[in-house]
Amino acid sequence: MPKSSHELLNELRERLLLAGVAPRHVRRYVKELADHLADLKVEEERSGRFPADADSAAIVRLGTIDGLVRAMTERKEFQSWCVRAPWAMFGLVPILFLTLAWCVALLILWSGWQIFLPGSETPFVPTDGFSIFYFGVGRLLYFVAPILVGWEIVLIAARQRVKAIWPFVGLVLVALMGGAARVQANRASVPDGFGHIRMDFAVGPSVQGSLLHALVIFSIAVLPYIIWRFGRVRFFSN
Amino acid sequence: MNSVPGRETNPNFMNGVPELLILRLLQQEEMYGYEIVQAIRSGTDAVIAVGEGVVYPVLHGLERDGALKSRRKTVNGRSRIYYSVTRAGLRRLTDLSRDWSNLTGAIHKMLRGGPHAQVVA
Repeated sequence: MPKSSHELLNELRERLLLAGVAPRHVRRYVKELADHLADLKVEEERSGRFPADADSAAIVRLGTIDGLVRAMTERKEFQSWCVRAPWAMFGLVPILFLTLAWCVALLILWSGWQIFLPGSETPFVPTDGFSIFYFGVGRLLYFVAPILVGWEIVLIAARQRVKAIWPFVGLVLVALMGGAARVQANRASVPDGFGHIRMDFAVGPSVQGSLLHALVIFSIAVLPYIIWRFGRVRFFSN
Repeated sequence: MNSVPGRETNPNFMNGVPELLILRLLQQEEMYGYEIVQAIRSGTDAVIAVGEGVVYPVLHGLERDGALKSRRKTVNGRSRIYYSVTRAGLRRLTDLSRDWSNLTGAIHKMLRGGPHAQVVA
């Protein structure tokens, strides 16, 4: 049974994404082909064909699905960065984003320390009033950042239909960083000196604690990806 | 792009032809994909018939190179992407036209006569 134009475009979209064409180029190509098919169908109907025959004739005129895929894939400029440099997209970029988010969180911690706790030796003391909200934002960003970055990895991997290995590598990396990150703060030795905040990565003092934290981050971040993969398997098996 | 049905196209010989035809058409007026394909078909008396869907990667590639620009326009209730040629596109058209004229001139000269005429006759 010949494919309908809707089936053809869906298959084309999947094949282009699997071949590594960037989603934005795929979206535009498929949209323009859908418009083109509609024009061809109108032309065929005007020439006296029945709607079902007009649809088939329009598909034939559009070209074979292999030809339509090849026309895009043979142009390297349309390839996604996830295919050109997966190590960067799933390794380097998430680390950069995580670092950026943590820098903002540490800036909030440091500025809150200066504003609300000027005499305190450490910012990790109970606070009240607006400072609870202020420090809360920084704390939330610090703890949620690895999960948000993980979800970004999942989103990119799902949109681009990337092989599972790359998002898993990225997620493990982000989870390990999140589990091993430590923030330390102390007042400089000079009188009225600015507080000093630093961040390091260590699997301790409790190894189990760090690994558990990493596992929690990984599990929460990977869950949407597993659900999406499961949904795809079910969709294509029906 | 395909030549006359039943005849194989030499991809090397057809290199640059889609770009040339598209830039030439868009030099006159802005068009959307379907119009371009129909214009190529009628303008070449269907000698060059585009596998219709493959025109879009060429258009997107030319736009990416800065030779074309596009805008979305609604006509008769349907939103379409219209393409028009840029200054860079006009320069590219000039270059492609010159290259193609040189090539066809050389082939024509070979076919008309000369020391190797009997080979291609």
